[in-house]
Amino acid sequence: MACQLSPAWQRKAVASGRLAKISARFLSDTPKTGQDAGTCRAIPFLLDNPELVWVAHDLCGILAERGHSSMLCHLHEPSGDEQYPRLVEMLHNQAGDCEFCLLPTTSTDTVLAHAFDHVVLLVPANLDAVLNAYHRIKLLAQQNTPEIGVVVVGPRDQHAAWRFFRKLAVGSLRYLDVPLLNLGFLPEQVTPEHAAHDHHRNNFLTRISERLLRSKFYSTLPDRKVVRENV
Amino acid sequence: MKLCIKTSDVIDREVLRTLLIDAANELTGGKSQLLEPKLPWDGHPILVADAELHPVLISFDPVNSQSALLSGLQATEQIATALPWVNQVYAALGNQQRPPRLVVVSHDPPPGAAALLVGCPDLKLFSYKVLKVNEETGLYLEPVGRHNEVSAGMPPETAAAVMEEPAETPNGPVALPPLSDEEKNYFQQL
Repeated sequence: MACQLSPAWQRKAVASGRLAKISARFLSDTPKTGQDAGTCRAIPFLLDNPELVWVAHDLCGILAERGHSSMLCHLHEPSGDEQYPRLVEMLHNQAGDCEFCLLPTTSTDTVLAHAFDHVVLLVPANLDAVLNAYHRIKLLAQQNTPEIGVVVVGPRDQHAAWRFFRKLAVGSLRYLDVPLLNLGFLPEQVTPEHAAHDHHRNNFLTRISERLLRSKFYSTLPDRKVVRENV
Repeated sequence: MKLCIKTSDVIDREVLRTLLIDAANELTGGKSQLLEPKLPWDGHPILVADAELHPVLISFDPVNSQSALLSGLQATEQIATALPWVNQVYAALGNQQRPPRLVVVSHDPPPGAAALLVGCPDLKLFSYKVLKVNEETGLYLEPVGRHNEVSAGMPPETAAAVMEEPAETPNGPVALPPLSDEEKNYFQQL
């Protein structure tokens, strides 16, 4: 029987290697709670606008509550060669021996310059923001495409969140051959004005942090001690 | 003509009231109408209608910013509870029954201004300086801290972690890739 799927749902080309990579990531999914001494795990957050930094800030708190020492760090523009050692040193200076460094930025250039292999996109729940996110994904896909996770911020409910994610994910897969990982959503009722320990707010943030950890959605940078010895 | 400009720290409360009434357009962001120059409540705020005929309370104090803020909040509450009456008395409001906006003017911003501005989008804060130009007294009004909204309510390390790069535009450091017609059509609707 002929395929009746809308063209938008069909992939441009089948990339079996990529699928295998994604499958392997989920099959080898064994959550760890321990902290590898000296290992720095970076999670860059590409924000649609600077106001969304509260999401990264709150996720940082949730990760810390779950026993993963975490800190928000400022991501400088890299210059010249040796990006990794420079980045690791920079993060060490800011975050000490924290297990996770959350790196909020609004600049796609900065993410590209550091060549991260994982990026979390925070996408407000509106069509303009979805298009903006698509632009960014297209830009990221021009180099070595990182694994891209999406958090939809401010949808009315789960169905609305799914519709926005689906729009972006289908477009990215169809036109760019870039699969996206749905990391969750924060409904419109969850706002930065809520109390930090609001139960409702924490539930949504906890779900996102669990998905980040379970799918190992972070870039593990070289051991800081090794880097320090080599620099 | 020779201009002689001096600053002055001291200003009489009623002089300040007169100057604020003169500057009402600037404070409300458009053409305004004076409804009440001296409301009979604490702090005696000014009531005006803005260009959209919504009520705006201007609360001020020459010295004490906290007092200006608290008096303004109290008066806002009083106006809000008496909206039907206020709309009957002031025909200029067009009986729209809109709650009042609050504008607080003080020499220095009240403590916690940044957090207040985040929590109250309708609140506007102004600081003022008294200028004497050729012995004529005037006010220099400066809006307070909307640019601090993002970092308000967060610890300093969070605020410091916010990237300050300008938003990317097609003319930015890396030009955004163009979209095909098919892509444009696809993203036109949800």
